[in-house]
Amino acid sequence: MSKNRVSRRQFLNYTLTGVGGFMAAGMLMPMVRFAVDPVLQAKGESDFIPTKQKIDEITTEPTRVDYTFEQVDAWYTSEESGTAWVYKDDKGEIVALSPVCKHLGCVVNWDSDKSNPDHFYCPCHGGLYKKDGMNVPGTPPIAPLDVFSFKEVDGFLYLGKAEPR
Amino acid sequence: MKWNTQDIQLFIKEKEYIDTVVIPLLPVSFGEDIKQTVAMTEFISLLSGQLEKQFKGRLLMLPGISYLKSVTEDKLIADVQQWEDELNSQGFKHIFYITSDSDWKTVEEKLNGSLIWMPSIPLETMDDQYKNSILEDQVKQLLNLFVKKWQNND
Repeated sequence: MSKNRVSRRQFLNYTLTGVGGFMAAGMLMPMVRFAVDPVLQAKGESDFIPTKQKIDEITTEPTRVDYTFEQVDAWYTSEESGTAWVYKDDKGEIVALSPVCKHLGCVVNWDSDKSNPDHFYCPCHGGLYKKDGMNVPGTPPIAPLDVFSFKEVDGFLYLGKAEPR
Repeated sequence: MKWNTQDIQLFIKEKEYIDTVVIPLLPVSFGEDIKQTVAMTEFISLLSGQLEKQFKGRLLMLPGISYLKSVTEDKLIADVQQWEDELNSQGFKHIFYITSDSDWKTVEEKLNGSLIWMPSIPLETMDDQYKNSILEDQVKQLLNLFVKKWQNND
């Protein structure tokens, strides 16, 4: 027998506090969890999509960079593909332009019209854009091409969202 | 433009720029060639999706005409000519048909529109990424065809 005998009153105190504590915790924990949930929410693995384009292989000539991403429509996931025109400008900075014509949404091509070399050309209605994506006045488009945000990860180009200028 | 409510709103607004319609011709059969017709229909549906993406601003992609392989040729041609009359009266300048069914090739001259015949590719064994790149290649080849047709009539 130990010398510190636990009295009946002490024993009841301990057990009741213990059990009560568990019950209180059981109620409070979910509440706290709900309260802080927005902070813990995963950010959707950023919005940048990886491409196969190596950063140091980008030249001053616009090249087509294709990428694929998964698009979720409710419960249906499909693989969508997209394209960007990527090049380095005179200052050596990377420019990634959306290929979607600002007129009615056709896909523009670099340097495909013989009478307008070194321009982005839209085959649908003859829209023209300069190399920096600015629309040539007098052709149907009324706005410059959208620009992708991008970042470099392990030497590869990651594309974000295309934003209008 | 796709045949959906969102795109059609834009179509109504910008009608003068959209002078081209594309009609996929999709065969349906329940006989021995059921598998072939399914493959053709699937391939053309995917291809027309990519094609629409490329030329969104100038063509209207109609929901395809699906037809029974058992129906006689004359009736099919009459049906398609009816479409042509309607589309011409609506002011469309260029009509394209896109199909994998080679039977159309033999009656091509009876149609006013241009017939594009693409042999169907067995897509069922490919993964999505490969499938997409093949379709994009096909569309690139069609690009010139469309551009030339547009230039000749402009």
